[in-house]
Amino acid sequence: MPKTIVCRCEDVTEEDLKRAFESGFRDLESLRRFTGFGTGFCQGKSCLCHAARFLASVKGGDDMVSDPPRTRPPLRPTPFSAFAGAAPEAESAREEKP
Amino acid sequence: MAAARRLEPHPDTPFRYGPRVDFTFEGKPLWGFAGEPLALALLAGGVKVFGRSAKYHRPRSPMCLHAHCSSCLMRVNGRPNVRTCDTPCSAGQSVERQTGWPGAGFDLLRSIDVVYPEELRHHELFTSSAALSRLASPFVRKMSGAGELPSGPPPMALPAEHTRARVVVIGAGAAGLSAARRLARAGEKAIVFEAEALPGGRLLDGATWIEDDGGGAGWQKWKSLADPAGLSGIELCCRMPVVALYPGRPPTVVAAGEERVRVVQPQRIILCNGAYDLLPLFVGNDVPGVMTVRALDRMALGHGVVPAEPVVLCGDSDEVLRLGALLAERGVELAGVVTRRREGPQLEALQEKKIPIVFDREPARARGGRWLHELELASHRKAEPDRLLDCGLCAAESPPAPAYELGHHAGCRVFFSSSGGYRIAADSSGRTSRDDIFAAGHCAGAADTAAAMAAGEQAAGACLESLAQAG
Repeated sequence: MPKTIVCRCEDVTEEDLKRAFESGFRDLESLRRFTGFGTGFCQGKSCLCHAARFLASVKGGDDMVSDPPRTRPPLRPTPFSAFAGAAPEAESAREEKP
Repeated sequence: MAAARRLEPHPDTPFRYGPRVDFTFEGKPLWGFAGEPLALALLAGGVKVFGRSAKYHRPRSPMCLHAHCSSCLMRVNGRPNVRTCDTPCSAGQSVERQTGWPGAGFDLLRSIDVVYPEELRHHELFTSSAALSRLASPFVRKMSGAGELPSGPPPMALPAEHTRARVVVIGAGAAGLSAARRLARAGEKAIVFEAEALPGGRLLDGATWIEDDGGGAGWQKWKSLADPAGLSGIELCCRMPVVALYPGRPPTVVAAGEERVRVVQPQRIILCNGAYDLLPLFVGNDVPGVMTVRALDRMALGHGVVPAEPVVLCGDSDEVLRLGALLAERGVELAGVVTRRREGPQLEALQEKKIPIVFDREPARARGGRWLHELELASHRKAEPDRLLDCGLCAAESPPAPAYELGHHAGCRVFFSSSGGYRIAADSSGRTSRDDIFAAGHCAGAADTAAAMAAGEQAAGACLESLAQAG
């Protein structure tokens, strides 16, 4: 079916953004929460910019676009084993093992 | 027929790999070169559909080839959600697709795309009654999802090394390498973390050209910039992506490799982590065979895996036009270069090679089922298409999205503009709103690779100054 994909991870289309905006989701955060863009595997690397540009164009200016959603680590999918090893407690736990 | 074929490696390519090795794709034997990106071995081996999208089960195939997107995920050696573009090919690997029912190749769930041609409000699906919702949710979860659980237990905690450092440079692209060399010249010690297997970033692109004293190809610049002789005192850690930058004082950098984790608390940080490539918005921009310009550059020039069918390039930058000429030199057929550029030496080079150029059009719709077969062009993408190009691959350019996240999380000011996206606010010396963090290159909005190199130098200079002031 003809679709213009904004977010490839979560299959959010340009139409979805328009409809969500018309339904009253008019800032980046609520638009994101409603449509789900930026919440998939890549965490917005290829869609956040498109969505922000969309908002700027419908609201009539770059200054109408808020700060980006709060950034939370990890920046890319990271196995728990990495964080398990990085925690300071992990060091002592390893040493205590018989 | 495969979407891509192999050429002899380009003599100047920075990418080198080992002997031919055999692996299996869903039980079928395939081969690749040890160490080359698995995604390219799959493409050259005839795999077109790598997976299915979460909601509409549309076919997915590599888009960025730089480990940024989610379009090349597969199950590798029993581990789901592995980016095949970022996984080196090795002997005996077992590779499978992980989405779709009964499989990603032929997926009956594709019907969802047809049943919901306009909008599927998943929040409202099966919510009319509580009983229906309870019945439907396990089914829906199974149908979307991200593959089966891993076949074995996860690895135990990775060994972690906690250190302090004077300077950490995040990203070893054009900006990061220039910053590191500036630090090395001053006798400063630094750790440089790079996500890719090779340092270089945009200097690894065959179509990069640095316009300075005489000018030179990106690959030549790469040779001199990545030369260890100019990086004494610099610890370069490749395949070690920084996954977190915690905002304390000193800030904490966490870099997670495949086998170990580094946790560093540096006095100063220089952010040089580049930008993500985007595809422009047009109908069917997710059809397999539509990819970013840098993805095609990496695949065809870097690794010698070239499209088997004619290619369309869309964009206005020097890199796009230069890529066109370089592909033609490698014997790749170009169905057309779609550009708004009207003059310049790059354009003349294309015209000399008799490459069809389509002026004042842009992609309006990509058509194809499991792989692209034609591209409709229009004067702007909402207009009625008036040109049609038969092609087997389309590389289209959109302004990149700066990787602002690490700086943002650390508390640096970030701002938005439609032309440049969100980026880290930095002055001409790379100073951000935090006095111990500097930013240079594409993450701070550099216009091109040469500007990123200059910015890297500047930021390293400012960083040295601030270290000297602190004593």
